[in-house]
Amino acid sequence: MESIKIRKITSIWIITVLTLFVASIVLGILMRLNQGGVLQQSPITFYSNMTIHGITMIGIWFVAGMAGINYLMERYVKTSYTANLIALILTVIGVLMLWAVTLIGKFHTAWTFLYPLPLKVMWAQWATPTFLVAMSILSIGWLIWGISMMTQVLKKYSIAQAFAWQHFKKDPGVKTPPFILISMITLVGVITCLFVAVVLMALYFAEYFSGGSFVNDALLMKNLTYFFGHTIANEMLYLGLAVIYELFAEVSGRPKWKTSWYVALAWNFTLIFILTAFFHHLYMDFVQPEGFQIVGQLASYLASLPAAAVTVFSVWVAVYRVKVKWTLTNLLFFIGVAGWVIGGFGAVIDATISNNIVLHNTLWVPAHFHTYNVMGNVLFSLAFFYWFSIQFTEKIVSEKFSKLILSLLIIGGAGFLLAFYIGGADSIPRRFSNYPAEFTSAKFLANFGAIFATIYLIPILMLFYNISKRCLKILFSSSS
Amino acid sequence: MSKNIVFLLFLIIGFCNFAEAQITSNALKEETNIYEKVFDVPLQLVDQQSASFDELYAQRPVILALIFTRCTGICNPFLVKLKENLQFKTQENPFQVLVVSFDPRDSVSDMQQLAKNLGLEENKQWTFAITNSISELNQSVGFDPVWDSLRQQFDHDALLVGINKEGYITKKLIGLREKGDLELLIGSVNNIFSPTYRLPNQNSLFSCFNYDPVTGKNKPGLGLIFLALPAVLTTILLISISYSVRRRRQKREQLS
Amino acid sequence: MQQSSILLLFFFLMGIALIVFTYVYLSSKKTDQGMSNPLKKRFWFFLILAVMMGIFASVTIPKSPYFAFADKTPAKVIHVAAMQFSFFLSENAIDPEHPSGQGIELPVNEVVEFRVTSLDVNHGFAIYNESNRLITQTQAMPGYVNRLRYQFDEPGKYNILCLEYCGMAHQVMRSSFTVK
Repeated sequence: MESIKIRKITSIWIITVLTLFVASIVLGILMRLNQGGVLQQSPITFYSNMTIHGITMIGIWFVAGMAGINYLMERYVKTSYTANLIALILTVIGVLMLWAVTLIGKFHTAWTFLYPLPLKVMWAQWATPTFLVAMSILSIGWLIWGISMMTQVLKKYSIAQAFAWQHFKKDPGVKTPPFILISMITLVGVITCLFVAVVLMALYFAEYFSGGSFVNDALLMKNLTYFFGHTIANEMLYLGLAVIYELFAEVSGRPKWKTSWYVALAWNFTLIFILTAFFHHLYMDFVQPEGFQIVGQLASYLASLPAAAVTVFSVWVAVYRVKVKWTLTNLLFFIGVAGWVIGGFGAVIDATISNNIVLHNTLWVPAHFHTYNVMGNVLFSLAFFYWFSIQFTEKIVSEKFSKLILSLLIIGGAGFLLAFYIGGADSIPRRFSNYPAEFTSAKFLANFGAIFATIYLIPILMLFYNISKRCLKILFSSSS
Repeated sequence: MSKNIVFLLFLIIGFCNFAEAQITSNALKEETNIYEKVFDVPLQLVDQQSASFDELYAQRPVILALIFTRCTGICNPFLVKLKENLQFKTQENPFQVLVVSFDPRDSVSDMQQLAKNLGLEENKQWTFAITNSISELNQSVGFDPVWDSLRQQFDHDALLVGINKEGYITKKLIGLREKGDLELLIGSVNNIFSPTYRLPNQNSLFSCFNYDPVTGKNKPGLGLIFLALPAVLTTILLISISYSVRRRRQKREQLS
Repeated sequence: MQQSSILLLFFFLMGIALIVFTYVYLSSKKTDQGMSNPLKKRFWFFLILAVMMGIFASVTIPKSPYFAFADKTPAKVIHVAAMQFSFFLSENAIDPEHPSGQGIELPVNEVVEFRVTSLDVNHGFAIYNESNRLITQTQAMPGYVNRLRYQFDEPGKYNILCLEYCGMAHQVMRSSFTVK
């Protein structure tokens, strides 16, 4: 049973994430409006906004996923409040530093900070080292958190049990809950990619302080950057899935999901695929050995198989002709899974090398990853936030309210994303502050996207208000 | 402490092994005339035969070396080194070396003497020749020797030109080169395509791969360790945490 | 046009997903039987997916661009050096200390080769045809040269855009060449 402390800290996480989410969405809408010609930002402002928008979004949904599994993990093992708190403090510090670096220092490398761009200082001198320090702070804070949670799991489950290997036997004996299995797999991936971040930062610092005598290899740095960046974004989605495996049945009023041999098999394989899929970011770097390129395509393809055949199918089994008690929570989960699947189609299409040559760095790329988030992972986390918030406060939202929220989310999300997909098919480049005149559809699509993003923002604000109100109550309540 | 020192030593040794030497900007001059057709000059070979250049390269791809016999500079060491480095050659990628003099004073017997001096008279892979259309040949391969009347010598690059069986220039190498570069040259005349190559770099120590032209494959570089390290670290962490957790539990159970 | 078929494929798959999810959702309002034989259905679902992905992989991987026209001799080699914020295109190698370029004209229906590098940060070398469609691309990475071979079937003016974010003027970094 979880303590009051973890309830409160989870409330703080939720409010922090939602606040930053709203701020980030606004930045995103401003970006689209600039691309649509409605606003006239200077390119530096646009790109600084773009940088902090990306970093914030990845960061907050990652910590949202971590906070979610930390909270639910208390059902199985005692987690460390200290580690959670350290992560919260370091995250807030890191994020504040990053906002300063971009909005004040005008640091604008994009969230992927691809080497050697951070070292080609076209912004305030202090921005580059501060950026590197901020990223290091975040990595360390999240490493502490991840390692701590993994340790707590290992205190109760052996490695074999945590990975559910005993489920391959006819009589497994100790049953590993799906939540523990997925959390473990995901934490291993998270810790790995954070170690990658540490290596990356070390190499950056080495070059920064060497005064030119030590120069990194651009290909190695790109591999490391995407090993870190892709993997953390992928893992944040899977943190959301861990929550689904734990809560979907419960919220629907159905028996708990169990780990079977194919669930164990799927998730163990997923770990391998997640850690090797990042090569798909280097398809157009012909310098990369062909073997790695093919591994990238195969891993990206293969990752979709356990996802579809196990997780998605399990959701269908849990719903098809089953009298589900539909609430906002499981509806958000369900729609999120649909969004994740659709994003997956866009992703697998782009992960095909022979397609990538005409899609790479066009709007198709933000199309698919925004789908994964806007209509996928964000909904998973919002579902958890809402579910958490109603555990300790009275009065859940009305059905009408839920219907309104979901309709606006779907309509807003769909329109916003459609603009990206069509833009990608129109070969419109991504990460352009303004579009060349010859892309005749570009401005219209940008404004179209901005309008629908605003429609999406409305239910987010409603949920922000609703959930935060509850969380504040939880935070300031003196007793359970 | 000692572990740190060992790790540092390992790194230093690694640096020494994988640091790349700086090459001058000959690289730029090498990138001219690529895929242009070499001028089909009439050749007079050392065995008194005459042949046209296109007859030669149609049989086997050619590595063309331009020298002159009265050279007191680079020509001799250049050819000696070339001979040394080509001795390893296998049969997979056929080629022939054509040594042509760009000095109008050189006769066929001068070239024969040169071949003798190098011990290459009987070597079927090497052909020595002169041509009366040297200026056309020079121009088509981008070779520009300058006569220095003070020293009575030509000032020129040590140039190797790779020519494939269709007569197209596939690659040029300037200066005394190692086996690896020669393998690239031989690969190129046999139309072996590599979608990329590395530029001469400054102080870049950690690369993922180094292309080994001998095998035509990529050899793992030190940088790969950085890619693999995080996963290895995590695995070690996982195992050590699990182990220490169990140890503590066993100790606790023993005490109670 | 490749992009149109990609978009169509995506909409088709999206449509199927939407139909399936809606159908599954609506079915939950009716009875409480659950899915019959879920393990068998799961197995078949997995098998069909795996086969489809296998087909896609085996068909598309050989079409990867890395060795396109590898056995041909290009009619022209163009050296490309990308730099914040312009492209230098030249028939000769480009001196990193004094980069310079020239107007480029390429032959139609012949294989040409671009040797692409960067003089500072990562850039993208993306070729757009006259209908503003992206037809091919490669990255420009400092310290490396990427060789991109292509055969232009249509004469006309082709634009080059930078497709790898490289800083504040990324969106205006461009060049062009003609194919005759």
